[in-house]
This record gives sequence, structure tokens and C-alpha cells, in this order.
Amino acid sequence: MSPETIEFTLNGQPARLEIEPDTPLLWVLRDELAMNGTKFGCGRGLCGACTVHLDGNPIRSCSMPISAIAGKAVTTIEGLSANGDHPLQRAWVAENAPQCGYCQSGQIMSAAALLANRPHPTDTDINAYMSGNICRCGTYPRIRKAIKRAAAEMAGDPVANWEPGRENRTGEVQS
Amino acid sequence: MSLSRREFIRNASVAGGALTIGFSLSGCSDSQLPKQNAADFQPDSYLRITPDGEVIVQIFKAEMGQGVLTGIVSVLAEELEVDPAGVRYEMAPPHPAFADPEMIMQVTGGSNSIRLYYDTLRKVGATTREMLITAAVQQTGTPASELYAENGRIKSRDGSVDLGYGELAATANTLSVPKDPRLKHPADFKVIGHQNDRLDARQKVDGSAMFGADAPVDNPLVAVVLRCPHAEGSCGGWDASEAKQLPGVEAVFQIDGGIAVVARNYWRARKAAEAVQTNWQIGDAPLQSSDQIDAAFAAALDGNEYEVVREDGEPPAAVGESLVVEYNAPFVAHATMEPQSATAQPTGDGGIEVWVGNQAPDVAQAYAAKGFGVDRGRAIIHNTFLGGGFGRRAAADNVYEVSQIVARMQRPVKLVWSREDDMRHDFYRPVMKARLTASVDGNGDVASYTHQIVAPSVTQSIMPHFLYAAMPAWVPHGVKSTIGNMQADTDNASIEGVADTAYRFNHFRVQYTNLPTVMPLGFWRSVGHSQNAFVIESFVDELAHAAGRDPVEFRRAHLPEGSRHRAVLDKVVAMANWDQPAPSRYLGVAVHESFYSVVAEVAELSMENGAPKLEKMYCAVDCGTAVNPDIVRAQMESGIIFGLTAALRGKITLKDGAVEQSNFHDYQMLRMSDVPEIEVAIVDSDAAPTGVGEPGTPPAAPALGNALFAATGKRQRDLPLQLT
Repeated sequence: MSPETIEFTLNGQPARLEIEPDTPLLWVLRDELAMNGTKFGCGRGLCGACTVHLDGNPIRSCSMPISAIAGKAVTTIEGLSANGDHPLQRAWVAENAPQCGYCQSGQIMSAAALLANRPHPTDTDINAYMSGNICRCGTYPRIRKAIKRAAAEMAGDPVANWEPGRENRTGEVQS
Repeated sequence: MSLSRREFIRNASVAGGALTIGFSLSGCSDSQLPKQNAADFQPDSYLRITPDGEVIVQIFKAEMGQGVLTGIVSVLAEELEVDPAGVRYEMAPPHPAFADPEMIMQVTGGSNSIRLYYDTLRKVGATTREMLITAAVQQTGTPASELYAENGRIKSRDGSVDLGYGELAATANTLSVPKDPRLKHPADFKVIGHQNDRLDARQKVDGSAMFGADAPVDNPLVAVVLRCPHAEGSCGGWDASEAKQLPGVEAVFQIDGGIAVVARNYWRARKAAEAVQTNWQIGDAPLQSSDQIDAAFAAALDGNEYEVVREDGEPPAAVGESLVVEYNAPFVAHATMEPQSATAQPTGDGGIEVWVGNQAPDVAQAYAAKGFGVDRGRAIIHNTFLGGGFGRRAAADNVYEVSQIVARMQRPVKLVWSREDDMRHDFYRPVMKARLTASVDGNGDVASYTHQIVAPSVTQSIMPHFLYAAMPAWVPHGVKSTIGNMQADTDNASIEGVADTAYRFNHFRVQYTNLPTVMPLGFWRSVGHSQNAFVIESFVDELAHAAGRDPVEFRRAHLPEGSRHRAVLDKVVAMANWDQPAPSRYLGVAVHESFYSVVAEVAELSMENGAPKLEKMYCAVDCGTAVNPDIVRAQMESGIIFGLTAALRGKITLKDGAVEQSNFHDYQMLRMSDVPEIEVAIVDSDAAPTGVGEPGTPPAAPALGNALFAATGKRQRDLPLQLT
């Protein structure tokens, strides 16, 4: 297989590289571009750790050949927000959602796509949309809360607004 | 070990105004972490304060999600009077200063980190605080009685003194170490019991947290390894002539443990690996397949080769009808989200440095040195975050592989394990078969209880891997294996949770038969407790029903008065409204002690069209002082989901010594839609902290199994549980 020139947009910037066209996007990101926020979990689209956005839609980058990306726009966890301050990222911190952290880039990218499609998701929506993302630490209940918190904030509910240094985790009495 | 037996040892070397002081659990004066900067105030191995006032803490335990990083910083920060969020942390290198006093090596496991280091870290923080106050006395002439520490500064009550810790570092460097620093009264705690926010959360939501395959090396090659699928099998030959012609391939060669395929990137390495022809040979060890193992274990239950590991009381002369049942647990895999990847490169001076998330960095160091062919002192381990540990990352098989590959390539290499590699080359939780024989007397109390266990020894299986690192490098490998076998003849990991149960029965007997299989075994979150709690807590439930008694009341009656077990049980049944569950809801309970903590859980089910649905889990935990209460809650949630996942989905099977499962389609995980609401209560306690990372797991499976019995009338005696 011969290398081809592939051009696409990565986190708003033009990207261009010579690569064998069967190479999955995940390995282009990690091995060619040293963008390590997107993780490898299963290689078969079963776990969601490698989730990124392609023209705004969530895809499993481990199973998407780079040839299919040509001319399109890819957003990774590094490009989700300028300073790691997307409402979902802040909600994740506020809910103490991450544990080992390995799956969380994929979780957050899936959740971002969910909220873009359904700004006010129900539990059923969240369960259905997020079930492609495995977490072995069992952070699912907190991810669920974090998505709701971010949705409320994005909808302008001031009660949900996260403030640094304030203990305001949901469903919990603070001492 | 009490504080009074510990020793502060002042190292006499004062160089460039730098004072280094060893604080050592072993009393060994050479165990001080080397000072990195002469100007820093480094009162012990755990922390240093720079002249700029930065407090830098060594994270000497592996952060694998359990929150130990936040715990270590919280305990130190409490006594040192600094804001935990302002503390900088570094992942500690392998060093004797950080050897775990219970496990000898620098291992993170057994849920012991905060339990074991709570006093030590408080004392380190208090010592440092007192030295900074003394430094302020010397610099200002203000008496110590007028001074106090607050938020990284030493101040005087009249406001005339207000010095940052950094401004006092140089003076503090010249001081002797107080022998008996005053610890804060718990009523004055501002951090312990209050610090909820994880300190590593932000880098875990923006993609910047570093794991083993994310190391900052220049132009690494990527390696994959083909390994014999048959446990204890061998390689009967291989041919890479086709693979070597493929684009991007740099090298294909044999290493100890497999055939390495090195290429420009992962995809080229994986494609080339698929083109390597291999001739794997099945080994000749007995018990190579799941059906053989099951038959042999059943025979062993009937046999007379066993050890009586506990017997209390006398068997009653006459018992009524005995209940005799069998329970089974399969092999299960860890399936950490991060496969076992690692990065390494040669150092400029003939050594090797490895980036890996590992639970035992000194084991990793020993294997890096062995793989690269240098002394251990020339192997540098950068312990990264661990993408899940659960016991899997106590082994350093990946480090040994990548170090051999770097030795050959002499340039940076990332070793990437696929999910299939990870699933098929784990150190598994052992298979187990148990026979329970018991009778209930006329009062409805247990008259006699015999618990027979047949299981292979985890310790015997994995100990040689650790002993290699624990022992001097010159000991021949055969000697190490022999010592491992000898010392591990009675495997506590097979009997824990049963032999040490808190239940009191008139006659109680535990028998254990160690029956090895071909499968490599390892420590799996809560280890023996994970299977044994399922068996004993399900069987006690059976006995309660046989006696016609409420399962909670029956448990209380057989647990000691005033015990923590009764307390968490009482708490959880109150939370779950045990006595009056909601209509069409079915409850199951379990209580279990592990790692010095006691956890009770209730599973609440509904039935929809004849199918049970898990609606909610309730959990009450007594872990002593909860240093970070929300992390304790998160660990209970985590442990419960880990336990439920194995209880509902976990089963690894063997054929010809090869694992039959490969990825998440045939070894499934609970997902968002499968996971119920979880409510956790932490029992108030002033006692010292006990385990948190593992104790949530053991009660989950029996609580669910018992709820299924309540809902369906069908007793669940085999893992994974059968819902239909």
C-alpha cells in the first residue's frame, strides 16, 4: 500500500500528511501527529475510548480509515475547548467524574455530540447515547450527573453554574 | 507499626546549605530520596519546599483512579497548613524510601495506602510545619508561641510576621528535626474529611493526562508483540519473510516472551504482525481447558487432599438435615481500559528509561534492567497515570518486553498491546469451586458450617514474577521459582473472606485444596474476597431462608454485638427501607469486611414482564476516617460497578491453554444503560482510615444474587449470575 497525500481540518487547523490510506484516524492522531488525548481501547469500535467528532458527529477513530477523512473536519478532545473549559469539562470536574481518566476523552466527546443534538437529554437519551463508551472505573453515575449539569448550564440555569472552589456537587449535602 | 517506633534520622551531609533528612519506616539511613535542588527545603522524602514557596509532594503510590494522589496530598496539606489545590505533585521514582512496609516493595495494592501512611504523612506535615515556625522564630525573633501556620505562610497573632514558606526554606534547612511534632486535633481539620475535589481531575478531562503510551519521546517506533496463545506453550518456529516486505516495517525478531514486530507506526506494525507465520505449540501442563478444570475441581471436592485452615468448636453430635450445595466462580480478566502499553528509550549513558503506569515501579525497574541488560541502577522508571489497575498493573510483563525491544533497536519505542493481547495475556482471577455443608438447629441458628474451597493459588502463580524484583539480581531464576512455590503453599488469597469471617457459628470449618491449572493468575480487585464473599454471603442467605428467618436479622444474630458489621448492616437496611420495600421491589443484602473496612450493600430489583431489572444499589461503608469523602463515595460506586460487571458478564474460558475471549464483544462490560442509581453512606468514625479502593466490590455480587432469589425464587450459585 502506497502513501497518499491526505488533507483534512483538525481542530480548526488545516492538516496535511503522506500516509497509507488504510491507516485509521486514531493512529494518525497518535503516531503521526502526537496528539495523545484520544485513546486506544479496543480497535473495533466497541469501547468508545477513541471517540472524536467528524463534521460534528461522533465517530470511533480506531475504525475510520484516514482516506475517509479527506476534506472533512475532525475535532478531538484537544480541540473541544480553548482552555479545557467546555461546560462538560467543567461539569466533569465539578462532579468528580474522572477516576483513572483513560476513557474520559471519549466519554466527553460522546457527551458533547449528545448535547449538540439534544440540549435537554433525558436519562433514556443519555443511556442510549453514552452506551457505546465503556468505563471500567464505573464512573457512569457521575457522567450522567455531569451531562445534566452541563446541559442545565448551557441552557442558562444559573443554579447549575459551576464555580471553582465551591463544593456544589449534585445530590450531596456539604459539610 | 506505631509512630514511636519510627525514626527520624538526620543525615549529616549538609552541602550548599541543603539539609537532607531521612524519614524512614525501616530506620535505614540510606533510604532518603536524593535531593533534587540544594536550595529546596526537603525535610524528608515525601515533600520539598522551594525558595519560591512551591510545595512539591512525591506521589509514591500508583494513581490508577482510586484517588490516592488526592489522599496523599490531603493528609500532608492538613498538617502543613497549605491549600491542597496549590500543591504540586510528582510521580515518585522507585526508591527504598517508598518501600511499602507491609509488602516490602513499592507496591500499590491491598487498599492499604492511606491506612498505612496516614500517621506518617501527618507527622511529616507537622514536622515540616514546626521547622518552618522555628525558622520564623530565628528570622524575626518572635517567640514560637506567637506564631502560627496558615495557608502556606507563618504569621504572628499581632500581624507583625507574615512570611511565605519559601522565604523560610533556607533557614529551615539549617534546623534539626523535632522528634515529636504536635499533630492537629481532628476537630481542627480543614482538609481531612472535607477535601472532596480530585486534584487530578482537570488533566483527565482535557486529554493531557499522561499514560504509558503517551510519553514525550522523539520519533518513536511502534512495536507489537505476538505471544503464544497457549499458556505455558512454546514457539515451534516463525517466518517473517513476508511481513518484512510490508511498508513501514523496521524489524521482526524474537524476544523472551514472543515475537516483536517493529514499524513506523502502530497500524503498519499490526498489519505486519498479521503477516508473520507462527507455529505455536500447546504445552504439556495438566488442566488446559475449562471443562477439564471443572471436572478436576469437582473430583477434588470429593477427595481427601485438603488442608483444614480453620476449625472452631466441635461438630454437633447429631444434626438435623444438612444443606449441601456447590458454588462456582470462573476465571475473570481485569480488562483495564488502557491495554498494557509502555514507552522506552535508551538514555545517553547506556541505560534505559521507561514510561509506564505500574503498581510496582521497583518490579518494573528490575524488568527494565533485565530486558535491556543493565544493572537496576541504570533503569529509570517514570510512573505515569495508570489507565486502570485493579491488580493487573502489579506485573511488569510489558516493561520486560519493551526493554528487550529497545535493547535491539537502540532508539525510542512505544509498545502497544491490542485489546486482544490484553484479554488473552492477563493474570486472571482464579477459577474456584466450593462446597458448603451446613445445618440449622432448633433455634434457627447455625449448628455446623463447613466451607470447602478448591482453587489454584494466586500467590504461587504470580510470586516468582515479584520475587525476581525483590531478590538480589544474582539469584538464579530456578531458585526464585522454588522459593515462590514453597512460601505460597497456603494461599491466603484463596481463603480470605471465609477463613477470617466475622460470623460466629457453633461449629465452623474451612477446608482448602490448592489445585493448579495452566492459567497465569493475578490479583483482581479485592482478590479472594471477590469470589468468597459471593459464596459465603449467598450461602448465609440460604441458611436464613432454611431457618425461616429474615436475612438481615439472621446475619445480625450471627455477627458480634457492637461490631462494625452490624452497624453498616443497620445503616444500609435503613437506607433501602428493608422492612417495607416499595411495591414490586425485591431486595437482597450482603455485608463483608475486607482490607480493614466493612461494607454492606442492598440490591433493589423490579420485575418487568418476568425479567428482573436492577433499579438501585445502596451501600454503607465503615472505612474509619474518610479523608476525601467524595472519593470514598466514588470508590464505593466504582467497586460496586466492578463487582456487578463481573457478576453479570465476567467469564473467561480456556481451551488448549488458550483464552477463548478476545475483545469487548465476547467479554462484555456493564455500560451506562446497565448501571443503576447508587446511594452511598459513610458511617461516621473517628478511627484511623482503612481500605477504600477494593472493599466496595465483594458485597455487590451476593447482594444482587440474593435479590434475584427474592424476586424469582431461584438461588444463584454460579458466577456469572443467570438472569433468565
